Amino acid sequence: MTVLDDTPAAAPAPEPAPASSRGEVRGNPWFPTLRGTLLVTQIELMRRRPTAKGWIFYGLVLTAIIGVGVLLMVFAPEEKNSIPMELILVMVLGTGMLIAPSLSATSINGDSSEGVLAPLQMTRLRAGDLAMGKLLASWCIALVVLLTATPFLVYAFSRSGWHWDELLIVLGGILLVVLTSTAIGLAWSSIAARAVASVSLAHLTTGALLLGTLLVFLFTQPLISETVTSSNRYIDWGLLTDEQAQALDQAYMTGDFTALDLESLTCIDNTYEYGIAHTERTAWLLLANPVVMIGEMSPIILPSEENWGDGGTVAEEPVEPAEDDGRAEPGMFATMHAGVSDARIGPSEAELTGDSYDECADLAVMAAGEDPYAGVDDQWQSDWEAERQENAAYDRAPWIGLGVQAVLLLGSLWIVIARLRVPYKKLRQGTRVA
Amino acid sequence: MVATSTAALATAAVSARGVARAFGSVQAVADATLEVQPGTVTALIGPNGCGKTTLMLMLAGLLRPDAGEIRVAGADPRHDAAAVRDAIGWMPDQLGSWDNLTCLQTLTLVGRAFRLSRHEARERGAGLLEMVHLSEFADRPTRVLSRGQKQRLSIARALMNDPTVLLMDEPANGLDPRSRIELRTLVRELAAEGKAVLISSHVLAELDEMVDDAVFMSKGRTLGDEIADKVADAKRRYRVATLDDALLREVLAGGRVPFDEEPSGVIIRVGSEAEAAQALAWLMSKGVPVHRFGPAGSALEQTYMTMEEERR
Repeated sequence: MTVLDDTPAAAPAPEPAPASSRGEVRGNPWFPTLRGTLLVTQIELMRRRPTAKGWIFYGLVLTAIIGVGVLLMVFAPEEKNSIPMELILVMVLGTGMLIAPSLSATSINGDSSEGVLAPLQMTRLRAGDLAMGKLLASWCIALVVLLTATPFLVYAFSRSGWHWDELLIVLGGILLVVLTSTAIGLAWSSIAARAVASVSLAHLTTGALLLGTLLVFLFTQPLISETVTSSNRYIDWGLLTDEQAQALDQAYMTGDFTALDLESLTCIDNTYEYGIAHTERTAWLLLANPVVMIGEMSPIILPSEENWGDGGTVAEEPVEPAEDDGRAEPGMFATMHAGVSDARIGPSEAELTGDSYDECADLAVMAAGEDPYAGVDDQWQSDWEAERQENAAYDRAPWIGLGVQAVLLLGSLWIVIARLRVPYKKLRQGTRVA
Repeated sequence: MVATSTAALATAAVSARGVARAFGSVQAVADATLEVQPGTVTALIGPNGCGKTTLMLMLAGLLRPDAGEIRVAGADPRHDAAAVRDAIGWMPDQLGSWDNLTCLQTLTLVGRAFRLSRHEARERGAGLLEMVHLSEFADRPTRVLSRGQKQRLSIARALMNDPTVLLMDEPANGLDPRSRIELRTLVRELAAEGKAVLISSHVLAELDEMVDDAVFMSKGRTLGDEIADKVADAKRRYRVATLDDALLREVLAGGRVPFDEEPSGVIIRVGSEAEAAQALAWLMSKGVPVHRFGPAGSALEQTYMTMEEERR
């Protein structure tokens, strides 16, 4: 409209980019592309790139860890023991589940309030690219934790008696759990307007998975309990005369019951009821727990036979002695697997029949000079051993846990992508678009 | 009927018809209609909170309108968001930048997000940084930039995809006077390249000198023809100041040119810039010693003030 003589000429605009590099697009695609995902990952990692001080600090920590690892390797005892490695794995899982959601839970609402989200949404990047890129970037940072722990892990693995493929499977499980936690954080970040809210919600979700499943499992036990009646018979001591009581005491002290006049003793019947939980009905709650899932992905390790002295008998199926299979004694994961298996198997027939104790009958047997428990202890011991071996050797069941992780991962990504798609129908409460 | 209206929507680079959007109970935009033709600059003018930014967001395809039709470069942002995004350069009112990244990295990454190759994106980013006079900051992190510099980086970012439509929300905010003049020149150049530019601002005097058309908004509504007439009339008003006012009046009366008296000189109305040139030449040829000849103040400001009066 007006020609101004006194304006300094702006530098000429650079040549437009050749049109060929940008294809014609229609619609509003959201499905992530490899190229877009990698670009967003790159952007996110560059933005979070540590400063020089950060690198120095990280280098120092890594050096210290390597040093401690070497020292341990030199001075550690020779026996195999998988617990140190399992502790490291649990630590990696724990820190990963803490760090990754903290990073991702501020990734979307934080960007939005900084005003750097909408300009990216205005490019050819799709909602899926943004979601996957942010997911991968936060996940990669959590991987650094794993890398930092590598020297420890290598050492601990060498003593653990595990095979390397078993370690890889468990590491894969841990990385999946961390990835899912990251995705959950991202989902909260796309839902909540404020970083404080999304970070705490992300950690609450993680906590619900870790502790909530255990608590629900415990609190639902009364609901799945079967009432078992215990019937007992015993001598009514209240009706005994002093002489009778003394004689009975004497008999129990000496183990000589022949002198007792059993006819004169009054037997009373007593029954009481108690609940036995059918844990096999709720064991899936345990299996949904990510830590249990990791335990279920770890190798089956059979305990060596307990030495019960002469009476000890071997379980029905002969079990390979643990020392010969190159394994350590069951560590945390194997013990957890046995506990979970016990819950999955549920109460045995014997447990459901209920305890019974018949003092009068026992006295009769003993009065005849016999031992009512001859062979019973041995039987009990071998049952116990058999159950122990059965629990340890019970089939692993990581599938429910993996399914929960997969559903949470895909569900979270679906939420994130839906919330990142523009044009927005709805905005986060109390936010602006840009 | 439908076909013709769609066709009419498609000719303009940006067009909106009857667009409305509410946030909960707040009706941010009630009824907005506008058109921006390729190669022109259109101003979006209105008081704070009248819905300018919301309308811009809907045009950009970031926000879904509750009602109404929008076409950007012939595409509907609701269904063809990708095509719209490819065609639009969007400069938001919120200045955000990736703190840790340098200016050139920022532009290169945005360029690659538009699917330019790494090399193309870098070249274009460097060129745009030069254009907005930020070359010396190319390798410095964006956190060191001042507000005005960030504003210029934002302009460069909006141009990374060589858009055919440019939406600028308050681009002059925080710019120093020189940068404002450069912005004005830049916007005119972009329009001359054939881009359609929609620009919202409060600095009406600035807009006056760079826009071809103006859309006024008040309480979520774009104001229609009566405002357009006012702007057109305000634009036609030229102030003529001479060393010899008596001669001027005599010449104008002799040529039967209607004019308004003003304390300094007179106001005449001309139909176009060409007509203004003719009028000036004619006055000169009559020997009138003209020392000032130009638009009578800010047309947009005059119109804005009358609009504000109407509002009360």
